[in-house]
Amino acid sequence: MTTMQRSAVTKRRSTTEIEQSTPEWQKRLTSETAARVTALLAFVVIWVVMSWLFSRVPGPVEVGERLVDEFSRGEVFGNFGMTLYRFFIGVGLATVVGIAVGVVMGLSQLSRAFLESPVLVGLSIPAIIWSFLTVMWFGFGDMSPIITTFLTAVPFVVINVAQGVRGVSRDLRDMSETYNVPFGRRVRHLVLPAVTGYVAAGVRFAIIMGWNGVLLAEWFGGGGGVGYRARFWYDANRYGGFAAWVVLFVGFIVILDRFVLDRAIQRSFRWRDSR
Amino acid sequence: MTDQMVVGAAPAAPTGPADDREADARRTARFRRWRRNALLALGWVAIYLVWEFGSWWFGSRLLPRPHEVFASAVEIVESGNFVTDFSASVLKTFAGFGVAAAVGAPIGYLMGRYNYWRAFFHDGVTIAGTIPAIVYAVMSLIVFGLSNFGPILAVALVSAPYVALNVAEGIRGVDRQLITMSEAFGRTPAQIRRQVLIPTIVPFVFAAIRMCFAVAWKVEALTEVFGGRNGVGFQIRTEYQLYDISAVLAWTVLFIAFMLVIERLVLAKAEARLLSWRPEERGAAL
Amino acid sequence: MAVLTVQNLSKTFNLGTARESRVLDDISFEVKGQTFVSIVGPSGCGKSTLLNIISGVEEHTSGDISLTSDAGGPARMGYVFQDPRLLPWRSVMQNMMYVQDDQSPATVSRAKEYLDMVGLAKNADFFPGQLSGGMQQRVGIARAFAVEPDLLLMDEPFSHLDAITARGLREQLQDIWAQSKKTVVFVTHDVVEAVELSDRIIVLQPGGLIYEDITIDLPRPRRQTDKNVATLQAEVLARLEKLKAMSVAEPVA
Repeated sequence: MTTMQRSAVTKRRSTTEIEQSTPEWQKRLTSETAARVTALLAFVVIWVVMSWLFSRVPGPVEVGERLVDEFSRGEVFGNFGMTLYRFFIGVGLATVVGIAVGVVMGLSQLSRAFLESPVLVGLSIPAIIWSFLTVMWFGFGDMSPIITTFLTAVPFVVINVAQGVRGVSRDLRDMSETYNVPFGRRVRHLVLPAVTGYVAAGVRFAIIMGWNGVLLAEWFGGGGGVGYRARFWYDANRYGGFAAWVVLFVGFIVILDRFVLDRAIQRSFRWRDSR
Repeated sequence: MTDQMVVGAAPAAPTGPADDREADARRTARFRRWRRNALLALGWVAIYLVWEFGSWWFGSRLLPRPHEVFASAVEIVESGNFVTDFSASVLKTFAGFGVAAAVGAPIGYLMGRYNYWRAFFHDGVTIAGTIPAIVYAVMSLIVFGLSNFGPILAVALVSAPYVALNVAEGIRGVDRQLITMSEAFGRTPAQIRRQVLIPTIVPFVFAAIRMCFAVAWKVEALTEVFGGRNGVGFQIRTEYQLYDISAVLAWTVLFIAFMLVIERLVLAKAEARLLSWRPEERGAAL
Repeated sequence: MAVLTVQNLSKTFNLGTARESRVLDDISFEVKGQTFVSIVGPSGCGKSTLLNIISGVEEHTSGDISLTSDAGGPARMGYVFQDPRLLPWRSVMQNMMYVQDDQSPATVSRAKEYLDMVGLAKNADFFPGQLSGGMQQRVGIARAFAVEPDLLLMDEPFSHLDAITARGLREQLQDIWAQSKKTVVFVTHDVVEAVELSDRIIVLQPGGLIYEDITIDLPRPRRQTDKNVATLQAEVLARLEKLKAMSVAEPVA
């Protein structure tokens, strides 16, 4: 029995025991819904504290008032519509051109070598340079924001699509070869499913870049739109008005992202998550 | 090595044709390489031609011709002005980056590790990631006014969501089996963090940094255009107000070239060294 | 004296809406010190779950598990998995030391000893990615022995290897075990392998009940080519004939 004195016995708790020993309030406080609510509260608190610390930062109340103001003056819908029109034409063009160029670039080694440098240059030119140039070239109309949006967005679609096309698995291509799968079916079941996800991801990136482009061009262009209106308030040193437009605009982006893009991307990547 | 392969492939064949075939293969390889380089060069030529065409179309006052821009770039370099402005811009970019990593990485870690924190941060981080850079630039100016903190804050605000999302993804993609292994051998959470989690997320952090860097320096320049006291963006704005477009483009070209060099050389080297355990990186590290 | 005592152990998985799947059903057994015990059963009978529960990686739903350690303090455990589970960013030696509590020179030389026993002393500074699958698994075995565990758990460590490599490793394992006399719980679906290696075989049936508890009394070292081993293997297989029908009739998720 001497060994018994030296030896230690470890016992482990079963899940039923642990479950029973956790109090109800603790479970509720650590739930995910509680986390989201807390996050929202934390955001508001930080905003309020920031507006106290920096006199130039408008608080939530002021921004709310400005927002109502802007609506009652009837400035919201016209400017918003104008921005959306420019944005969608620009991004739409970028998507179409980007997919075409991306597919060519993904399919052949030679076109990749040729297009590599132009795409790289396109990626690295800042949106602000495009907006400076297009404002000079096309004046204060719709043209400058549309072209800026297009030029900033298109390289992102191109590289994503090219990557997707290249990523179509060699093994699967060989498999289709051995089974003599007809070309049409191969494109439909092999290439398209593999590429749509990348297209969606590329378009999403293009949209983020495109917003930036359209706003910048409007900011410097002065032909109306969200960017123009935001600048109007900024130049007047009325930062509440600027913030009100940011809230409007970001709200719109979030809704678009959540309800349209996210769904589309999830649909096209469905097969990947079901593993 | 090549000898062995030839012998293995055709043991009965006499050596003469094998040598021929080898020379053939080498010739095709050389031809392929040559053709690739030629196409790369052709790409640059195409850029040049498009630019020349644009200057002709819009007139060289609205789009200066390449050699004019080159001339003013040389002028800028010779005047030595660029050193102070470049270093100011680069320092601000890296400072913003440091802030983004210091804030974003822990947030990403929490998001990847615990469901509670994931729910807490998820919406905010994804929204922050979709807000256009111009909003951040102007917001930073409103907070800090005309000072060096504006660009730093803007870079940090733009980069932090990327860093957080990438780190979170890395943590969630961690090999669960390595964690069970560690737990089975009774490793402490601190040991698991150091030996399993952190090495796993290093590649993700690098991916985030490289992805961000391309965006970050543009935002930095953008913020300086709006309200900087020095730096490349400040110079671009000044020249733009003087309607010296070739100087605007010259500053831009210099900045792009400089940032690409940093991206390619500095970041890629550091990455290869830190990831030397991966078979595909081992060659690059040497 | 018993190193491991399992009493009335049950494990159920929640499959959502009031559906449950019972993986282990009221199991009790003891494992004595310095014995090699195999747990055998068709796939889905809960063998791996049982092992994970013993190691503490998974939680059990009800019942008791206790481990006794000779040295005092919590029981030390070693674990060899189906796959090597080495940290790819650490060298072989760093992997050996990662699971050690104390990093003294004595431990380092012990780790080296075990690495030598599996024939990999020369590869101490390699990254796992530079070794073959069989070599990596040998590192995994050396790592588990080198912690000098009170209880060594092995979860089908040879099932992912080709037949020839697996056979070599089984022989190596017997030799190391003969030298160190650790208490081993070895999970496998391969009855033949179990007979070759163990002193005792616990057979589980689908639904997580103990079907049979067989004692193997053969002299060591045993080799697969040994006639006695082969006879006994055939005998045990015959006794488990009925299990086959059960596992076909009752597919387990």
